[in-house]
Amino acid sequence: MIFGYLDAGSGSLILQAILGGAAGILVAFKAWKARLMGKRAVSEAQAETEEQPVTTEH
Amino acid sequence: MFDDGRVLRLLDERGLAGWEALAATRFFETATAEGRLIAAQRVDEPTPDVAAALEHPRVPFVSYPYEWTFSMLKDAALLQLDLLEGALGEGLTIKDATPYNIQFVSGKPVFIDIGSFEAYSPGEPWIGYRQFTRLFLFPLLMTAWANLPFQPWLRGNMEGPTASDLRNALPLSKRLRPAALLHVSLQAKMEQRMSGAAVRDQLRSAGFSADLILTNVRKLRKLITPLEPGSSGRGWVEYETCDHVGRDRAAKGEFLEAELARHRPGRVLDLGANDGFFSEVALRSGAVAIAVDGDEPVLDALYRRGTSVCLALGDLTNPSPSQGWAGTERPSLMERARPDLVVAYGLIHHLIYTASIPPSGVMSWLAGLGCPVVVEFVAPDDPMVAKLTANKTDPELHPGRTRAEFEGIIARHFETLATRDLGDGQRALYSLAPR
Repeated sequence: MIFGYLDAGSGSLILQAILGGAAGILVAFKAWKARLMGKRAVSEAQAETEEQPVTTEH
Repeated sequence: MFDDGRVLRLLDERGLAGWEALAATRFFETATAEGRLIAAQRVDEPTPDVAAALEHPRVPFVSYPYEWTFSMLKDAALLQLDLLEGALGEGLTIKDATPYNIQFVSGKPVFIDIGSFEAYSPGEPWIGYRQFTRLFLFPLLMTAWANLPFQPWLRGNMEGPTASDLRNALPLSKRLRPAALLHVSLQAKMEQRMSGAAVRDQLRSAGFSADLILTNVRKLRKLITPLEPGSSGRGWVEYETCDHVGRDRAAKGEFLEAELARHRPGRVLDLGANDGFFSEVALRSGAVAIAVDGDEPVLDALYRRGTSVCLALGDLTNPSPSQGWAGTERPSLMERARPDLVVAYGLIHHLIYTASIPPSGVMSWLAGLGCPVVVEFVAPDDPMVAKLTANKTDPELHPGRTRAEFEGIIARHFETLATRDLGDGQRALYSLAPR
């Protein structure tokens, strides 16, 4: 490759933990859970922002 | 970088750090001593804007994975896995996994990209895993499990087949194998679901370790080691024993030896090399010999015999073009071969009668290679030609096929240095120098 940095692929990275055997499946599960929690935290933060009353100044 | 025939690698600060980490390991010492990793020596070069320069020995002929046989790609895959395992054992990793980092020298795969090694950061997954599957594992499975040649895929897509591509190509019975379910179907599904998600930090926090990479690497090695090509094509494996090729070998070999002595070429390109007999004659003269043939079983058998001839699988009516980024990243087969002498034994009648290339077109192409050519002419009444033209009528064949006409075409492009009739006069050898 002329350009040395490749796209590792998110799914392929998580898959590697599963391919690492029993210990890896636990790691994959934890990483997947952390990702879900991260997503939920983001969506909750967004929901809170949307619920704040909008004040306008004239 | 090429400089007066020398191969120099210029390093930036990050590259220099990777090199220093690699050079300090026992792994580097043993892998270079065994010829699995290309030798590298730091040199003092007055090159601005670089942190350091390394010098490598020159690879005699650069070939690409779409020109390799099954066994070549398989050996390259196993080398990639072995080196990754060795590197991880000493706190290093290989940041990519591409067969373009591997070349064949004296019949063995050698990893040439020293710059791919860097210190392993704890908790990092194997960044090259997906690339390994697309450029090594999937092409091998495609041939071993789906009986499809992998070379057109690699030539057509520089990144190799995707997991979805391979899933679609595999028969159901193979798709249900555990390795296919994990590396192919699950990877295809996860890639689709998680596209663009940042997961490296989460994997690190979840306890990802180099041991998981090593387990994966060992399982991949176990999966790849027993793979064999499917039953695609019977090829020309019996060609030598069942046809005229064996009969005229001694005479053709002597003629070639005389031309090798006359021209003393540094590089000999053997077109339509078949089992490599004449490439090995050229090799014994001290030249770099490059054998090109379109028959994978024959070329694969030559590779497995451990030949030091450089090999390139390819159809001469459609040789590898210059391609990749900007259309120049991977130069064409002829740009890489740069022959000083071309051997075309048992070739041109296949181009004329099977591929329907006019004799004048064949000879002007050979002249265009810009070096002396040793060529075998086969007359229209030769039994082999009779076979090739069994279903063709005279108007369907190009003019210029008789010996007198052929010599007229030769005279337009070449000076004839020597000739020799073979057997019953239906075949003849010519040593030609382009005008």
